[in-house]
Amino acid sequence: MRTRKNILKQIFKVRLLYLLMLPTLVYFFIFAYFPIFDGFRISFQDFRFVGESRFVGFDNYREAVQTPGFWRAFRNTLILGFGNVMLTAFIPMVLALLLNELRIAAWKRFTQTIIYMPHLFSWVIVGGIWIFMLSPNAGIINVIRNLFGLDSIYFMAKETYAQPIMIGVNLWKQAGFVCILYLATIAGINPELYQAAMIDGAGAFKRVFYITVPELLSTLRVVLLLNIMGALRMFNQIWVMRNEVIAPKVDVLMYYVYERGLVQFKIGYAAAISVLIFVLTFIITAISNRFIKYTA
Amino acid sequence: MIRTTTLRKLFVVVNNLILISLALTMVVPLVNVLAVSFTTDLESYENVIKLFPREPSLEGYKALFQQIAILRPFLNNVFVTVIGTFLHVILCAMAGYVLIREKFLGKAILVILVTIPMMIPFEMIIIPVYVTVKRLGLMDTLWSIIIIGVVSTFSILLMKNYFEGIPRSLEESAFMDGAGELTIFFRIYLPLAKAGLATITIFQFVYKWNHILPAVLFLHSVEKYTLQIVLKSLVVSQELSGTTLSVANNARMGGIVFAIIPLIVVYLFAQKYFIKGIMIGAVKE
Repeated sequence: MRTRKNILKQIFKVRLLYLLMLPTLVYFFIFAYFPIFDGFRISFQDFRFVGESRFVGFDNYREAVQTPGFWRAFRNTLILGFGNVMLTAFIPMVLALLLNELRIAAWKRFTQTIIYMPHLFSWVIVGGIWIFMLSPNAGIINVIRNLFGLDSIYFMAKETYAQPIMIGVNLWKQAGFVCILYLATIAGINPELYQAAMIDGAGAFKRVFYITVPELLSTLRVVLLLNIMGALRMFNQIWVMRNEVIAPKVDVLMYYVYERGLVQFKIGYAAAISVLIFVLTFIITAISNRFIKYTA
Repeated sequence: MIRTTTLRKLFVVVNNLILISLALTMVVPLVNVLAVSFTTDLESYENVIKLFPREPSLEGYKALFQQIAILRPFLNNVFVTVIGTFLHVILCAMAGYVLIREKFLGKAILVILVTIPMMIPFEMIIIPVYVTVKRLGLMDTLWSIIIIGVVSTFSILLMKNYFEGIPRSLEESAFMDGAGELTIFFRIYLPLAKAGLATITIFQFVYKWNHILPAVLFLHSVEKYTLQIVLKSLVVSQELSGTTLSVANNARMGGIVFAIIPLIVVYLFAQKYFIKGIMIGAVKE
């Protein structure tokens, strides 16, 4: 009795702290914790908004693994995801090393600012710019091709180009952001390391290769994990840049969930796929976490 | 020695060439978009790399305001961005403040409850969230857009970081003077964490301004549409999407310019907060 009173007293003492935290907790319960459980429940239902939702056991999951569309989305997610993860981890690293060699501070800052800019734009803007750049009439890429006497190509209507375009445009948008992460790490490297290497007679290339690059590996690890998380959540870019012609090559899992669940209203089925993606994310993150730790 | 300096010079030249051409892949498309937006309908289809309009015209912007009626979605976007950002900043600051208090009953649980949602990406729970939003009667309201993401673990931890940098002696003397918890939060901590507030304000502004997924999910009537939704129907290639909307290239590019301007303005004025925020974020994660 005494202890209970004590607890109440303690809670009362910090009631204002709880009050400050209350909106956050309410939000997380309604829009993060509850949906996790609700999504799991719905995935076992033939869900409907009006009337009663029937429990159907594993029917939704069975249907998912038997549908070619699901496996197609799965394959596309892996291909696009792998391309995105690798390119947007390593190319910005090279970029950061090159930027770091610029000796004029203003020029360095200017280039960095320009390269970062696309990261600010929404996928609608980035997608819109590139759909226009790649368009057969007035698109910059085809105008350049025409200058060399080559015919225009309708890039956005060719399955062969679809995946490289998606990966390339993603790189264009994210490179500057990732580059800043690397530059920040480089800025934090102890300058004495370079001085010591210089006294030992190490040339500029050796100094970069034996000091800067190893220091960047911890950042690379963070970047790889961020990219992997992002790759499995890919939706916005596809929603903007897909069309029916290239859909077989670019429809990813999250788009499939959206299309099945909220366009065709197969809510239970879409929920089941969400659960599968969640499990997949968990597995892939765990594996890559171990793998990345092991190699680095 | 001579050999290395020539090598070095060669490297500097090559390096600059690489970086300049990279920067050009960013700059040329943007200048191109800007130039095309100011052309006449006819000129906007010309097969040349347009870096400035031959005969400057506002035809595209006229179509944007009259035919597309871009003003309504623009104002909707301003509404959700301003209100959403304000609520986000104040609520995350409140939560961040709680996390720097010394051990109190239940603190450990609060820390866990606040941290776990970082591992639950919104994209993966869209189906149940959709159901929840519908049940709460928020479907097809601008408030649904404001509420989604109104707090985030990332911002809370960022504010906690900033609050931790404020010397404790300040609040101790305030406690002596009999100031309460709320006074200390509003009068001491908030004003001293201005840099932190600025950082999450800017990040949230950009994030809210660019929101896509919540609007795709929750907004169904045309008068509720936010900017990105309308922009998408404008910029995607019409032949392929099969929409009947027929606008010239100049209006399409005008739409992009329209959506970019607030971002560029914010970026140019607050660049230092961006870089600071990115770095703190990366260290945290």
